[in-house]
Amino acid sequence: MQDEQNRVSRRTAGGTQTLAVLITAVFVLLTVPGCAFDREQHGPSDETTIIFKHGKIAGDPATFRRLLDRFESENPGLRVRDETLPASTDEQHQYYVINLEGGSTDFDVLSMDVIWVPEFARAGWLGDLSDLLGPGEENAFFPGPMRAVTMSGRNYAIPWYIDAGVLYYRKDLLEKYGFSIPLTWEDLVATAQEITRREPNLYGFIWQGKQYEGLVCNALEYIWSNGGDVLEEGRPVLNTARNAEAVRFMRELIVKYRITPPLVTTAIEEPTRHLFGSGRALFMRNWPYAWSIFEKEGSAVRGKTGVAPLPSFPGYRTASTLGGWQLGVNRFTKHPEAAKKLVRFLASPASQKALALSVGYKPTRKALYKDPDLLRQQPFMTSLYGVFLQARPRPVTPYYMMISQILQPEFSAALAGIKTPEDALASAQNQVRHLLGERP
Amino acid sequence: MRQAGKVFAVIAVAAWSIAPFLWQAVTSVKPDAELARLPPLLPVGPTLEHYRAVFTGASFLRIIANSAIVASSATLLSLAIGSLAAFGLAKLRVRSRGLILLFVLSASMFPPIATVSPLYLVIRALGLRDTVWALIMTYTTFTLPLTIWVLTNFFRGIPEEIYRASLVDGCTPFRSFVRVMLPLAAPGIATTGILAFIFSWNEFLFALTFTATDASRTIPVAIALFPGLHEVPWGDIAAASVVVTIPLVLLVFLFQRRIIEGLTAGAVKG
Amino acid sequence: MSGREEGNRFVLPAVLALSLVTVYPVLTVLYLSLHRKLLLFDITEFTGFDNYRFLLADDRFWNALGNTVYFTTASVSLELLLGLGIALLLNRTFRFKGLVTAVVLVPWAIPTVVSAKMWEWMYNSDIGLLNHLLGMKINWLGSPFWAMNAAVAMDVWKTTPFVVILLMAGLKLIPGEVIQAARIDGAGGWSLFRRIILPLLMPVILVVLIFRTMDAFRVFDAVYVLTGGGPANTTETLSIYAYKVLFQTLQFGYGSTLAIVVFLCVGAMSLLYLRALKAEVGP
Repeated sequence: MQDEQNRVSRRTAGGTQTLAVLITAVFVLLTVPGCAFDREQHGPSDETTIIFKHGKIAGDPATFRRLLDRFESENPGLRVRDETLPASTDEQHQYYVINLEGGSTDFDVLSMDVIWVPEFARAGWLGDLSDLLGPGEENAFFPGPMRAVTMSGRNYAIPWYIDAGVLYYRKDLLEKYGFSIPLTWEDLVATAQEITRREPNLYGFIWQGKQYEGLVCNALEYIWSNGGDVLEEGRPVLNTARNAEAVRFMRELIVKYRITPPLVTTAIEEPTRHLFGSGRALFMRNWPYAWSIFEKEGSAVRGKTGVAPLPSFPGYRTASTLGGWQLGVNRFTKHPEAAKKLVRFLASPASQKALALSVGYKPTRKALYKDPDLLRQQPFMTSLYGVFLQARPRPVTPYYMMISQILQPEFSAALAGIKTPEDALASAQNQVRHLLGERP
Repeated sequence: MRQAGKVFAVIAVAAWSIAPFLWQAVTSVKPDAELARLPPLLPVGPTLEHYRAVFTGASFLRIIANSAIVASSATLLSLAIGSLAAFGLAKLRVRSRGLILLFVLSASMFPPIATVSPLYLVIRALGLRDTVWALIMTYTTFTLPLTIWVLTNFFRGIPEEIYRASLVDGCTPFRSFVRVMLPLAAPGIATTGILAFIFSWNEFLFALTFTATDASRTIPVAIALFPGLHEVPWGDIAAASVVVTIPLVLLVFLFQRRIIEGLTAGAVKG
Repeated sequence: MSGREEGNRFVLPAVLALSLVTVYPVLTVLYLSLHRKLLLFDITEFTGFDNYRFLLADDRFWNALGNTVYFTTASVSLELLLGLGIALLLNRTFRFKGLVTAVVLVPWAIPTVVSAKMWEWMYNSDIGLLNHLLGMKINWLGSPFWAMNAAVAMDVWKTTPFVVILLMAGLKLIPGEVIQAARIDGAGGWSLFRRIILPLLMPVILVVLIFRTMDAFRVFDAVYVLTGGGPANTTETLSIYAYKVLFQTLQFGYGSTLAIVVFLCVGAMSLLYLRALKAEVGP
């Protein structure tokens, strides 16, 4: 009897083991309440909900919601849910990459930094939006952003709002000491040295030098305004004398001319804006957003601030890095037509004007810079028109993000004096060539 | 005199170990205005606003739940698979046992960075990206070497006669494993379970790579990528840190001896 | 009568699972490392040893290797020294010994990410605890000199408990009579430690040394969360470099080459470890 039982159980032992593992697995399954599967969007069947992902919108969130409400009332049956991404643009980029790479349908419309569009388009993640623009309508936008969203003649995004690097200066101090707005970097150094010598507790010139995307934006402005570049016809041209001279000049602003405090090597936009805003700097390179903050009631530099194009090296033109955000449609979306409608609406002159009036986002449509309402409220927009018209996009290539990952530490090392500009640029050149698959 | 020196040294060591955590706890109850300056060291008007901020919205609770689900499932699975193997290795005849033990030991030394990208491709191919399953699978296998190693030692320590006797009583090896050996190895199971749980609760690299949203995000990733607008919300981070660390501190105080045993067996004892 | 190797099927699931996360990935990484593979654009070209050739000329790689070696050397030696001291202290008898041991264990149990955030906050140059206590204004995480040392200090705090526990286990293995006998022979304090305890503890120290070296060499989360590899890549370790190439831009070809290098380095160390272990345990 016992033998019999023994034999049976021995025969089933293999099965029992498997069973034991299975039971454990099932038990574990039960303790995981539908985590992976409850992410589908459910809504009433007669309504389509479009999910719009974007970075944080400045100002009161209600303002932006009102704009979306208007879209909903103009398009019965369509609802928009907008979802804010993490604050840092690097995290936003990683979010998009990981999700779009996996063919996510979690969102329909997305806002993108200008440098991501070629990459996302090349990866096949963006719907073709060419038919959204009427004949010749691309000419209504600034040329820089338009170039950044076009690949082989097709549009993969619509420019939403625009940004570009500008020079902020203290009008009152330049007047007091009889200087004019510097046109060359040399002028800027001389002016800053003289005024900081006479004004205690004042930094000459501050900018963004931390190891991040903003450092590349800053460095390119020196490189371009010295006739240099990163890519030429798709091939890296980093280790040139012009580029080295430009990068060396950035380092010399800190260690030789001493008009830039070492703290810029860890600074991003906001800390420099705070410094300038509290009246502790003569010049600052930043984006236009700071202007309206400086002009607010109670600001220490209210009415004392001017904005100008950045200086250049002798014999070259001023150069300003193009920034800004574009609207695109997730190619995997289940509602392509509705998504396109939303893009069309948000990029329309009326919406751009509304956003410019309410939160100060600079329109990508040129005509709005002659709009009387806007000019009355923000007279300084006229002075930005020329800058935006000239603003240069960072290298328009699907590889830009990877190239930037290479450039950031190299520029940072050159600024910190860990590497000579030549070494840093040669190293970057080497890495970019390898990335693009060029054989040594 | 010597006695005083010893007491002083002991106090210094304890302070060095616990001070950063205490500072985090202090930070978590300081209002934002007090966080922007130092001194005073201690909060003037202590507040729970950071804890409230952290628990507002479903996000943080969901993330804690993810971590709890992932860590406990991985621990259970690892114990199930690992104890089977350990029992086999300790009490039964196994082909090339030495080689297998060596394999288990070397598996514990694998640098995660060398395995994360292929596993990412596997998980993507299985459609498990951004699900808790991806992490449960990974952690189960990554805690296996420890489980097997420690439990093999435990099973070896159970006298052969007990195992033999259970066979004579008519048990199959598997039945003997479940009915007799497993209960006897309970202390070892507890030890490895605690260590596997702590490992899974704390892991960062794989969690960072395999998760994208709150659907599967675990605590370490959430704390590393804490959202902030312009400034880093140190108070909220401190509150979140305290919340997720307290279970671990409790584990340490309750199971100190077991943890020490497990760590030692994992590394020092052959 | 029963199956000659009836343990095989007990062991099989574990061996399969472990192979899935070790053997399979390493073979895949090896394969990928011979390619130019950009996951984003679906580009996969076989390029032979191009990636390895580039690696030798890639000064960012050499920089990362240098950082990793510095981090490993500095943190492991400090951990050993400090750990030995604490282990000797805790090995004595005193009141609340259990409580103190538990307190000492706390840093080990705290998630690495949480410790990194805690230390980042203490390192804050304006309002950090450290500068306040020292009465200084050091930019701990912003200066190329301090950042790596700051990371080392954090790792020492976090990992010394582990060393302490292993060394305490080693101390327990030293028979009381041996120490008693030495005491009678007139050895005390320092000479007792140097002549008797240290030699007897050596095998354990060796094991701890190699174990910790392996662990420190593959460091990722501690430094990644604390500094992200900055400033100017002065804290970028091999694992961080590999991770950035792999996952910030999904370049699986060259990223795999970097991963293979980490694997080979740690592999060599683990061979040392296995030998030391064998020597300690005996055949």
